[in-house]
Amino acid sequence: MSSILNRLLAYPKVVLFAALLISLFLGREMTQNTRMETNLDEYMPQDHPAFIYSDQAEEWFGIKDGIIVAVSHEESIYNPATLDTLRSLTERFRRMDEIGRDDVTSLYTAENIVGSEYGLEVKDFYTTVPESEEALRSLRKAVEDNEMVHGRTVSKDGKVALIIAEIEDDVFTLEFYEHILDVCAASETEEIDIRVAGRPIVEGTMALLAPADMKRMLPIVLVLIVVSLWVMLRTAKGTVLTMLVVLFSVIWAFGLMALLGIPIYAVTTLMPVMLIAIGVADGIHLLSHMQLFRQNNPGAGKKEAIADMTGHMWKPVLMTSVTTSVGFLSLLTSEVLPIRYFGVFTAFGVMTAMLFSLVFIPAALMLVGLPKNKPGRKTREASVHPMAATLTRGVLKRKYLSILGAAVIIVLSLIGMQRVWINSSFLDKFEQDSDIVQTDAYINEYFGGTTNLNLVLDAGEDGYDVFKEPGVLRLMDQLQEEVESELDVVGNSFGITDYLKRMNKVMHEDRESYYTIPETREMVAQYLLLYEMSGDPDNLNRIVDYNYARGNLTFQLKSDNSIAIHSVLDAINRYEPDFNELGVELNYAGSGYKGLVFTDLILEGQIKSLVISLVLIVILLSLMFKNIRVGLIGAVPITITALIGFGVMGFLNIPLNTTTALLSSIAIGIGIDYAVHFLQQYRVNARNTGDKYLTAQKTMNHTGRAISFNAIVVIAGFLVLLFSVFPPNRELGALVSMNMFTSFVGTLTIMLVLLNKTRLFFRHNKTARDN
Amino acid sequence: MYTKIILMALAVWMTAGFHATFAQSMSGKEIIEEVYYRPQGDDQESSLTMTLINSRGDQRVREIRQFMKDLGEVEKSIMFFTSPADVTDTSFMNWSYADGSDDDQWIYLPSIRRVRRISSDSKTDRFMGSDFTYDDLGDRHPDDDTHERLPDETIDGLDCYVVESKSKDPDYLYSRTVTWIDRETLIGVQKEFYDRDGDLLKVLTVKNHEHISGFDIITHSEMHDVQRDHRTIMELNDVQINTGVSENMFTERMMSRGL
Repeated sequence: MSSILNRLLAYPKVVLFAALLISLFLGREMTQNTRMETNLDEYMPQDHPAFIYSDQAEEWFGIKDGIIVAVSHEESIYNPATLDTLRSLTERFRRMDEIGRDDVTSLYTAENIVGSEYGLEVKDFYTTVPESEEALRSLRKAVEDNEMVHGRTVSKDGKVALIIAEIEDDVFTLEFYEHILDVCAASETEEIDIRVAGRPIVEGTMALLAPADMKRMLPIVLVLIVVSLWVMLRTAKGTVLTMLVVLFSVIWAFGLMALLGIPIYAVTTLMPVMLIAIGVADGIHLLSHMQLFRQNNPGAGKKEAIADMTGHMWKPVLMTSVTTSVGFLSLLTSEVLPIRYFGVFTAFGVMTAMLFSLVFIPAALMLVGLPKNKPGRKTREASVHPMAATLTRGVLKRKYLSILGAAVIIVLSLIGMQRVWINSSFLDKFEQDSDIVQTDAYINEYFGGTTNLNLVLDAGEDGYDVFKEPGVLRLMDQLQEEVESELDVVGNSFGITDYLKRMNKVMHEDRESYYTIPETREMVAQYLLLYEMSGDPDNLNRIVDYNYARGNLTFQLKSDNSIAIHSVLDAINRYEPDFNELGVELNYAGSGYKGLVFTDLILEGQIKSLVISLVLIVILLSLMFKNIRVGLIGAVPITITALIGFGVMGFLNIPLNTTTALLSSIAIGIGIDYAVHFLQQYRVNARNTGDKYLTAQKTMNHTGRAISFNAIVVIAGFLVLLFSVFPPNRELGALVSMNMFTSFVGTLTIMLVLLNKTRLFFRHNKTARDN
Repeated sequence: MYTKIILMALAVWMTAGFHATFAQSMSGKEIIEEVYYRPQGDDQESSLTMTLINSRGDQRVREIRQFMKDLGEVEKSIMFFTSPADVTDTSFMNWSYADGSDDDQWIYLPSIRRVRRISSDSKTDRFMGSDFTYDDLGDRHPDDDTHERLPDETIDGLDCYVVESKSKDPDYLYSRTVTWIDRETLIGVQKEFYDRDGDLLKVLTVKNHEHISGFDIITHSEMHDVQRDHRTIMELNDVQINTGVSENMFTERMMSRGL
C-alpha cells in the first residue's frame, strides 16, 4: 500500500489531472441528472403488508389527501359575496389539471339529503348564488339542519366554510402550491379571508423547503469550517486541500447517484452533512501529523515530509474509512430503500474521501509545495505540547473521574432514553408560529381536524352485504361515538353510518329520535337503493365497497403526531374483538397511518443497523489490532456517544424522527475515527517507547491534537444550523455538534483510561512500567 | 304467373330503390326523429335484469318486473324488485310527460311500508344507480339537440346511418353524442356520449334486439362509462307487448300492494 502511494507520488500531475477529470465528469452528471423525489409513497417499502393493504384500500375507496382551503367571513358566510367566492373557487379547482373534477368538495358541491312532505330528496345546497335575505336564511337553515355538512364543511358558527381538493400523491409541486395560493389570494377581500392547509401542503412544503433551507445554510457551514480549519491548521494550502477532498467526495457520491439514476430523497440531503463531518478528519490527521513531523524534524525536505505523512498515516486513514463505511453499510439491513441508498452512497463518499486524502493531498502538496509551518512552536525541547501533557496527566491521575463520569453519563442517558418518543408528524417539523402551523390550528379549531385516519373494516372477499347488517353498523356507530367523545384529538368521523342515520331521520319526518341506524337489514338495503336513485353513487364508493364487504371510516384528527394517532388506534382497537366476532377485521389506511408505520420502520431499521454496525466495528477493530479487547475498548466512545445522543433527546423532549435517528450513524462514523486514530498511534508509540505514560502523552500530543482540531472545526461549522428556520435542521446542527464533542471527550478520557488500565500493546515489553 | 313474378320483383326493386333514395336524402334530424318515434307498442310487460359492474369486475345484479303504458300525454311505468332479497317488493313508479316537464317519481319501501316521492332535479339523473340516465333510455326529445348527418358506416355487418347530435343547452351533461343507426330496423345500435369537456364519457352498445308482436324491441344493451370504467347491462326477458296493461296498474296503491 505504502509503495503504491509512493509510486503515485512520482506522477503528481497525472494523479491531479485524473482526479479533476473524473470529478468534472461526475460534477456535470450531478448538476444535470439529479432528480428530487417528492412523492413520499416512493419512500415506502412497497412490499410491506401495511403498505400493500393501505394502497389497496386507497384505491378501493379513492382515499387521497386533501388540500384544505378555508374561506371565512367575519360575520357569516351566508352572504352573496362569500357564497360566490366558494362557488368560483370550487369551479376553478375543478378545472385544474392536478385536481380531478369529482375530487373537490365544498358547500357548493355538497349534496343535501332532506326530507320533505314528498319524501326523500337529494339536492344541491345552491347552484346559483342566493341573493335575497330570505333565500340566504333558508340556506343557513338547510346547512344547520344537516349533520353531514354542519361542522364538517361549514363551521358551526357559520363563519368558516371549507373547500377540500383531493390530489394524487405525485402531483404536488412548488408551482402548483404557489398557483393555489395566488388563486386564493386573488379572491380575498377586506371581509373575506382565505387560508390554505392540509397534508399535501405540509408534506410538499416540507419536501421542498427543507432541502432549500439546507442549501442556504450549507455554504455558511462550509465557510465557517474553512475559517476554523485555517485557524486550527494555520495553513491556507492545507485548508483548501482538505476542503477540496470533502467537496470531491460529495460530488463523487452525488454524481454516482445521478449517473445510476437514483433520485435524491429527503434523507439523502443529510449526506453532505455526514461527508463534511467525517471527510475533514482524514485531511486534518494527515496535515496535523506532517506539522508535528516538521516541528520535530525541521530540516526535512518536501519529499521526505510527504513520504513520512503517507507512510505513517495511510494505515489509520484506511482503517477509519473502512470502519466508518462498514458502519454506514449496515444501513443496508433497513427495509426502507432511501435509507439503504443513503448508507451505500455515504459509505462510497467516505471511501472517496479516503482515496483523495491519500492520493490527492500528497500529490497536490508535491506540486504546490509544503505549507509554511507554524512559527515559534518547535522551540520546546520535549516534543510534547504542554497542553497535551497537562491533559494526559489530568486524565491518568484521576482515572476514577473518567470511569465514574462515564458511568454516571451512561446511567443518565439510559434514564433519558426512556423518555424518547417517536414522532412521525410533519407539522411538528415546522415553527410553531409559521403560517402552516397557524392555519392548521385555525382549521382544527373550527372543524374536525386536518389529519385523516382511515379505519378500513374488512369482512373479506366473501363478506357480501356485511355492511348492510344493522349489528355491524350499530357497532361502527358506537365506535364512532365513543372515540369522538373520549378523545379530544378526534374532531369528527365519517362513514356509511352517517348516511344511513341521516336517511333514516329524513324518512321519518326529520324526527331526531330516528337519527339512528335503521332497524333491519331490509331497511338499510332499501335506503341505499333509494340513495342510489337520487344521489351520486360515487359518494358511497368512498365509504363502502361495491359488495358491501368493506367499509371505510374516516376519523378527523386535530394533530398528526404519533402520540395522537396511537391514542386513536388504541381506542379503536378496543373494539377489535367485537368486530372480529362479526367476521370483520380492522385495518388502517391513508397517509397519516402510513407515515406512522414508516417512521417505526425507519427507527427499527436504524436501531437494528446501529447494533449490527457496533458488532461489525468491534470485530473489525479486533482484527485490525489482533486483539478483541482493543475492539471492545475502541467501541466504548461510540457507544457512549450514541447513548448520550438518545439520552439528551429524551431530556430535551426532542422526538426521534427520520432525521434525528440517522444521526446516530454520525456518532459511530465520527466516533470510530477518533478511536482508531488514537489506538493506532497508541500502538506505534507503545512500540517505540515501551512506556505507558509516555505513550499516552505522545498519543495525546499527536492524535489528541488532530482530534480536537477535527471536533472544533466541525462543531464550529454545524452550530450555524442553529439559526436555520427549520427546527429539524436546528436539531441536526445541535446533535452533530454534540456527537463530535462527546466522541472527542470520550476518546481522550474514558478510552485512554481503559487502555491505560490494560497492558495492551505492551505484551512483549517486560520493562513497561505501570503508571 | 310470369307477370306476377315480374310485378313483384318490380315492386321489391321499387321499394328498395325508393327507400334508398329517400334514405340518401334524409337529414340527421329526420333520422333521429324516425328513431324517437319508432313504434314500440302502447304497453309492455317484461322482466328486467340489470347488472352493474365496476372496474374491478364486482357485480350487483337486480331483477325487476316492469310494466309500461304510453298514454299519449304521459308515459307511465312501474317496476317491482324481485331480487336481491333485501329489496324485494321495493317498487318504483315513474310518470314521464310529453310536454317535457319534470318526471314524477315515487318509491315504495316495504321496510317502512311507505310510499315516498323522489324529487328528481332533471332527466340527467342516473336510472336506479345505473350508467343510464333517463335521457339515455330514450327520453330525450329530438328538438333538444341539433343533428348533423355524418357519412354512413358499417359496424358489425350492419349498414348504419351516423348522426352527430349537439345539445342546444350548453350546460347539458353531454356536449355531443354520435349515434349509429341500423338502416333496416332504425334502432340506434351504438352511441357515444361526450362530456362537457368534449371527452368520451360513455358508449352504449345494443347487443341484441328481438322482433316481438310486430315490434323491434331492444332486449340486451350495455352502457360503458369509460371514465369510471363502470358498466350496466340491461337484459329484457318475457317481453309482452300490447297485452292491455291496465291504467290502474300505475297507482301508489299498486306500488305498496306488490306483484
